[in-house]
Amino acid sequence: MFQPASLKGDSPTPIDERLRNKFLILYIFIIILSFIPCILFEWFYFVLLWKEGLYLLPIFLFPLNILVLIHLLHLGAILFSILFLTLINLIFPPKEGVFNRSIKDKNYIYWNLRNIIKKWPLFITASNPFPWFKNRFTLRFFGVKIGRNGIHDNSWISSEFISIGKNVIIGMNSTVLSFGIEQETFILKKIVIEDDVLIGAKCVLLPGTHVKHNAKLSAHSYTNFDDNLEENSIYIGHPAKKKE
Amino acid sequence: METIDDSEFKVEYISTSGVYKTFFTLIILLQFSVGCIIIILVNLWFFNDLYYLLTGRKFLPFLLIGQWWEWFLLPLNIYGNLLLFAFSIILFSSTIYKILNKMHPPKEGSFERGSKEWKYTHRRFWTAYFPIWLARSLPLPWSDIIVYRFLGVHIGKNVVAYEGYIDPELIEIGDYTMTSLNICIFSHLIYQDKIIIKKVKIGKACIVGPQTIISPGTVLQDGAVLGVNSYTRPNQVLESDLIHVGTPVSMTLPIQTIEESQKKVERIKSEPIESTNLNDKDKSGGRI
Repeated sequence: MFQPASLKGDSPTPIDERLRNKFLILYIFIIILSFIPCILFEWFYFVLLWKEGLYLLPIFLFPLNILVLIHLLHLGAILFSILFLTLINLIFPPKEGVFNRSIKDKNYIYWNLRNIIKKWPLFITASNPFPWFKNRFTLRFFGVKIGRNGIHDNSWISSEFISIGKNVIIGMNSTVLSFGIEQETFILKKIVIEDDVLIGAKCVLLPGTHVKHNAKLSAHSYTNFDDNLEENSIYIGHPAKKKE
Repeated sequence: METIDDSEFKVEYISTSGVYKTFFTLIILLQFSVGCIIIILVNLWFFNDLYYLLTGRKFLPFLLIGQWWEWFLLPLNIYGNLLLFAFSIILFSSTIYKILNKMHPPKEGSFERGSKEWKYTHRRFWTAYFPIWLARSLPLPWSDIIVYRFLGVHIGKNVVAYEGYIDPELIEIGDYTMTSLNICIFSHLIYQDKIIIKKVKIGKACIVGPQTIISPGTVLQDGAVLGVNSYTRPNQVLESDLIHVGTPVSMTLPIQTIEESQKKVERIKSEPIESTNLNDKDKSGGRI
């Protein structure tokens, strides 16, 4: 909630350095495009309200102006990134599986491209002062299904292949990853979290886990690849084992 | 304090702290607008003068000085506005916090969902959200601690609390302690439809290691050290001048200097293998 820099919770979008320099222009282009609605709004504000004898009205309405500007930035960033994302998903749709981690592998290149496009809106919505348009809001636009009434603003939830149910509490500084990078392989798998789950602080969920109804993970515990956590039970430790 | 059973605080697993969004979160808009209005009222004459110097027109008929040297006051104006904005919001929200405390003061124990305590913790947390966010985003890194002091948390001298999560109520931190990256100091936990609240006391000259979790009710005595990557159980007491490590904390080690530990290594190496007898008195002291 109070967000020191280490608990910020914009979702992880790692980019390979060898590919970053090729697509840097795309990234800057998205940033410039997202400021356009703000500039238009400012222009209309001062042209319509800044007149002789009415000078004090735009000055006292200035806080409203700033609020609208901040939200317009977020919406603009999300809009333009969704446009580019749909284009790239038509060329090469995302797949799950185990791949080779090299620059010539197509899955790896397109995963990096998708991360470059999603990086700016996720960063800017996680660092705004108002709590109602943070990670949950933007992740819903990128295809993640998140249910109502949950607490997961201070955790690192990745932006593909995840579905989360209702009333879920994910603790501070925990990570829910759907990708895994090892020395030569690169893994993408889906994570499913069902209703009423409680995940403690500083946990790590690796790709492929399936957490069932009403399960509980204690703080500071790690799960394995392809783990199944059963209903109504408690798990502790690294690696996570059932408590009896 | 004495009427609370210790059996309320036995938990099978440790979860987190966190609050849902309620209707009360719209108080952030109130705080924001209060800060903006104060800035506008203080700066009206300055911007009147600058507009007059630029265009020759003025929008206020009074308070006009309009000299060329007012351009040099611009950087002072910008920094002063930042500080004014932040501290006016901090003062305003601390008064709201004190009013909420008088209506329903914070108590210790375990409470159920839907009770008055649950609602009032939500309200107290959302009043404290915006000023702490502001203080962490200003270019002055010690302004964190000023906000915590206004909200009633006792923090001593020379403590830095910039890179960790600290709950905004019921915590005491002593003088000269060191806190590190990625720590979580909880004073309330969500546990099976209940909420557990208890005070956390950290003594003087402690060291709280990185990646730790301190659960409600722990007491760290003067000089204790919490090792890396460990978490404490509720109502645990950590003794002074010792190192505590483990998930959960289960091992204690004494603090040694480098010379003592090197002498110990030489002593262990120089022993012959046959004389390792468990009944010897020389071997029983000083080993962990």
